[in-house]
Amino acid sequence: MTTTATLLLRLAAPLQSWGDHRAVLDARHTAAQPTKSGVIGLLAAALGRDRDEPLGQLADLTMGVRVDLPGTLLRDYHTVSDHRGVPLLSANLTAKGRQKPTSKPRYIQPTERFYLQDAAFLVGVNGPADFMKDLTAAAKAPACLLSLGRRSCPPTYPFVLSLTDSPLIEALTEQDWLASPHARTVWQRRNHSAAPAAIDVPATIDDPDGDTVLGDQPTSYLLGRNRHTTRRVTHRLITLSTGFTPAPDTPAGEEHDPLALLGW
Amino acid sequence: MSTRLTRRRFIDVHVLQTVPPSNLNRDDAGAPKEASYGGVRRPRASSQAWKRATRIAFSALGISEDQLGTRTKQIADHLASRIAARTSLDDASAARLAAAVIAPLGITASKNKEEESAYLLFYGNKQIEQLVDLVADRAADLAALDDKQLAAEFTSAQARTALMTGHPIDVALFGRMVANVPDIDVNAACQVAHAIATHGAELEFDFYTAVDDRQAADSKGAGMMGRIGFNSATFYRYGAVALHQLEANLTDPAAAVKAASAFVSAFVRSMPTGYGNSFAHRTMPQLVAISVREDQPVNLVTAFEKPITAYGSTGYAAPSAAALAAEQHTIATTWGAPALWTGVTHSFTDTTAKALDEAFGQPLTFPDMLNALTAELTR
Repeated sequence: MTTTATLLLRLAAPLQSWGDHRAVLDARHTAAQPTKSGVIGLLAAALGRDRDEPLGQLADLTMGVRVDLPGTLLRDYHTVSDHRGVPLLSANLTAKGRQKPTSKPRYIQPTERFYLQDAAFLVGVNGPADFMKDLTAAAKAPACLLSLGRRSCPPTYPFVLSLTDSPLIEALTEQDWLASPHARTVWQRRNHSAAPAAIDVPATIDDPDGDTVLGDQPTSYLLGRNRHTTRRVTHRLITLSTGFTPAPDTPAGEEHDPLALLGW
Repeated sequence: MSTRLTRRRFIDVHVLQTVPPSNLNRDDAGAPKEASYGGVRRPRASSQAWKRATRIAFSALGISEDQLGTRTKQIADHLASRIAARTSLDDASAARLAAAVIAPLGITASKNKEEESAYLLFYGNKQIEQLVDLVADRAADLAALDDKQLAAEFTSAQARTALMTGHPIDVALFGRMVANVPDIDVNAACQVAHAIATHGAELEFDFYTAVDDRQAADSKGAGMMGRIGFNSATFYRYGAVALHQLEANLTDPAAAVKAASAFVSAFVRSMPTGYGNSFAHRTMPQLVAISVREDQPVNLVTAFEKPITAYGSTGYAAPSAAALAAEQHTIATTWGAPALWTGVTHSFTDTTAKALDEAFGQPLTFPDMLNALTAELTR
């Protein structure tokens, strides 16, 4: 039996966007967390693979995503126009199957693009130890420019956290919370100054016996012919230490009771 | 794939630029775009807006037309007119040859001159001449063939080769994607992040009224009135170039260095033009720092996750520059990832300048820094 290893990646940036196949002409959506086709595509780019190369061992990797900071959704308004100033095309076709220009003519097509802002994810990828070693080297010194789901979303440093012998779930559990000191302050402010010593974060992990089916297992990245199949995953919560010092428990009998002042 | 074989070099471009009240890039409500980072809302200008400004700046920098690309649906028409210009053929025959040359690519389905391709094709003006080369010497003989014989004369490989070599620099940098002819795709060699402010800033509104010069004396109303959203920000802008990808796209190392330098120059000097006449926001950067790395590009936006605050009279620019220098220093030391080469142009003094010296080296003028970058890339 071959040994396996887990590569841990930190996917964090001001903006990221993980296409979830709801891409239609005028709206580009994002999934709430990195998709498997997005992450495998990122690793293929790091290796310098062309789109037409078979996925090989990349297709067999097991992936887990831990949502350290879920971020918020950003809707970006974007326009498309033809630089020659001619009308855009409509959905109607000519007898030859070509699109007719819009009538009355329209020159600007508004589109919507969605991004996740302020999010941070821990992604674990598990596979044969020798392949994972090559993959780690490629992720540290990628062949191509990398991006978090869309070209305008470059990752921030550090991108590669570690390569460990631990199995996927252990590796995802052992890694500290990715929130930076500033992000921890913001988290505390958003949670009404709560300072729990530990929090539970959601994780989505490849599992042949899982009860959820996702449609983002890549089979080909050929442009216009990119294909996906399904994979089974389980969802679970992972408990992480926050580094906060929790307020000491209020001694019994000394709860705040404003009505006591009134003698009630 | 050649990018795996050649020596890898990434060029990081970091820019700090302060803009006065302005509305560079607006959303559908007319307000400047924003994003939340580090828990605070900040002004943002999209990467698409700044890439378009960069492309437009190429011609302002005096890059000649034949090094640039055309994005059009009328490649058949363009090719036909170039064939007619190079040979003595009439327009109809030239159109017939043009259609035959590109037909194997599946770009156009008809010999009709008026037909357009189904999408905008981004190709180089030099590349169109390479397609003309395929027919120029024997144009008269080819025009005499019937449709079937003519079609047999051209293979998709010929047209593909012409469209895959000698890319114009904008295609080589920004890439090309043709969904139904993936063979002629070009992988982009650069990346531009959305520009975001290093600090939180409120969206404000300018209420304006315009007076009617010929208004009746007894009328007190305004001619018109309205509101424009605006904000003022110190932006962090980041762009990266993969020089090895650029070399693969241009198939010429010397041209790749020239194109990389043109990108740096155009990206740094460009500015989206939104509401330009209302706000006259055209400023120059206060800092441009460049790193050349062999391992990976490094985006320093993390320097501003904790938003910069302006105490007293410092403004945002100097503390932003200091934070950028500190982040560069931290990444080089903590993560053991120093850059191969760094260069910097800035206008800061005192302690900020000292921090920048330690992180990026002695400041140079922008033209000198570009020369030093070119020297490093050709080394």
